[in-house]
Amino acid sequence: MIKEKIRDGYFHMTDDLSNVNVKDVMVKDVVTVHEDESIEKLFDLFEKYHYNSYPVVDNEAKLVGIIDQDIILEILMFDRSPRTKHTHEAAIRSLSDNAKGIMIHHPITISSDANLHDVADLMLKHRVNRVCVVKDGKLAGIVSKRDIINEVYKIKKV
Amino acid sequence: MEFILHLLLILFFAKVLGEVIERMGFSSILGELLAGIFLGILLISPDNEILSSFADLGAILLLFTAGYKEVNLRQLREASKVAFIPTILGVALPFSLGFLLGQAFGFGFLLSLFLGVAFTPTSISVVVKTLVDYNYLSSRPGSVMLTSAIFDDIIGIFILAVAVTIANFNQFPTNMQLLTIMGNLVAYLIIMGLLGYKVFPILFNYIHKMHVKEAIFTSVIMVALFSAYLAEVFGLHAVIGAFIGGTMLSNVPFAKIEDVQRKVSGLSYGIFVPIFFAFIGISVDIGTVRTAGMFSFMVVALALLGKLVGGLVGSKIIGFDLPDSLIFGIGMMPRAGVELVVLSVGKKAGIITDEVFSAVVLMVAVSILVSPTLLKYAIEFKERSKAQLT
Repeated sequence: MIKEKIRDGYFHMTDDLSNVNVKDVMVKDVVTVHEDESIEKLFDLFEKYHYNSYPVVDNEAKLVGIIDQDIILEILMFDRSPRTKHTHEAAIRSLSDNAKGIMIHHPITISSDANLHDVADLMLKHRVNRVCVVKDGKLAGIVSKRDIINEVYKIKKV
Repeated sequence: MEFILHLLLILFFAKVLGEVIERMGFSSILGELLAGIFLGILLISPDNEILSSFADLGAILLLFTAGYKEVNLRQLREASKVAFIPTILGVALPFSLGFLLGQAFGFGFLLSLFLGVAFTPTSISVVVKTLVDYNYLSSRPGSVMLTSAIFDDIIGIFILAVAVTIANFNQFPTNMQLLTIMGNLVAYLIIMGLLGYKVFPILFNYIHKMHVKEAIFTSVIMVALFSAYLAEVFGLHAVIGAFIGGTMLSNVPFAKIEDVQRKVSGLSYGIFVPIFFAFIGISVDIGTVRTAGMFSFMVVALALLGKLVGGLVGSKIIGFDLPDSLIFGIGMMPRAGVELVVLSVGKKAGIITDEVFSAVVLMVAVSILVSPTLLKYAIEFKERSKAQLT
């Protein structure tokens, strides 16, 4: 019975989600990292906040990369990791002293005009928890799975 | 059914022996080679065509994965100036020694050329662990080593491209033929560059919206196969194309999703690359190693000395002191992945004889075993000389 209700609700929900724009749900006040920021500052950031990843921006606020917990852990544990993990890329990363040197240069982004259905689809399909929202190459915000769940719950309640 | 059993045994022994060797402190590639040698002696023939095709795919995926997720090309641009002289000497000397060794033993031009190419690359991952253990990765020799090793591989791959095309002509090419070879290489690079910077990013923006299962993963593998095939069309070799194809995808966001990277890595290092290394082992004729004692010894000695001396002199020129130059030279000695690909390409083309093949595999095995130990001694030597000075 409950299952059926959810299922019925879902079909309407996908239409509702398509009508919601990602820019209305995203977090606009994002904690970002400048590309020249030192690694020490990054560790402080991970200690201070509890986000999984931080967008990296340049002087013009353009999104140039992303740093997540996996990268930080990989750097911290590099000397303990097995030889198979000692690739050129990983070694260079472990030697870098700023955000530019360790970030992922190819973050997945979504346009600020996209709808919630698009971003939810992207997250489920590719197992990503947060997606950077961009407008003209500049970071406009971040949307997470939690933001989408909250929005879906809000729509359902209405 | 026999093929399934062979596949099962190869994967089992490659992983078990790889783990044992890794736990002993050496690269697991050695374990995978040993697994192949044992299975080659006991059970599996190198004439197995299906297995040979699987091994070809392994070589393609090995170089594709290196370009796709393991080499940081941005860093190469930045560090290339410092590493230029040590790289050139570290490539030129072993290449010349390999070529001259072939000539001294009366081999033809092509076989000597392939021997030179097989002496050229460097497998840095074999010694990174030692550098990390001694806190030397961030030292000057350590960071120049990282850049130089990747340049060695790239130069090795390009010399291989030229060597393969020369092999297609079956003689030393005329000036016109040389121009054709270079023209083909440039045309291939231009096409791949256009695809990488203009087409693939747009294409993957659509692919990620597809509903069929694993569309991105399949597309990434298709790019590997396409770039390999296109390279063959241009008279280059598939493995060269695979490496270039990998680098062209390395900055495409949807092709580099973590989940997809893991799957590509799983397919490569979980299945096909161990088969490739094991098949190299299977193809080793142990009898030839024994009969070609002097030649095998010369291959091992000259390949390792070439890198050591080339690296040592090159790093001295850019201002390293003797202990640092020694660390650099030894760090450039190990061979593993790319040189085995060169070997396999040469054997498939009918250029590399059983004798040369076995000797080069022996050289790879010795380099994996001795490089980390020698590097350890070189670092301790440097620490001692530093302590004496203070």
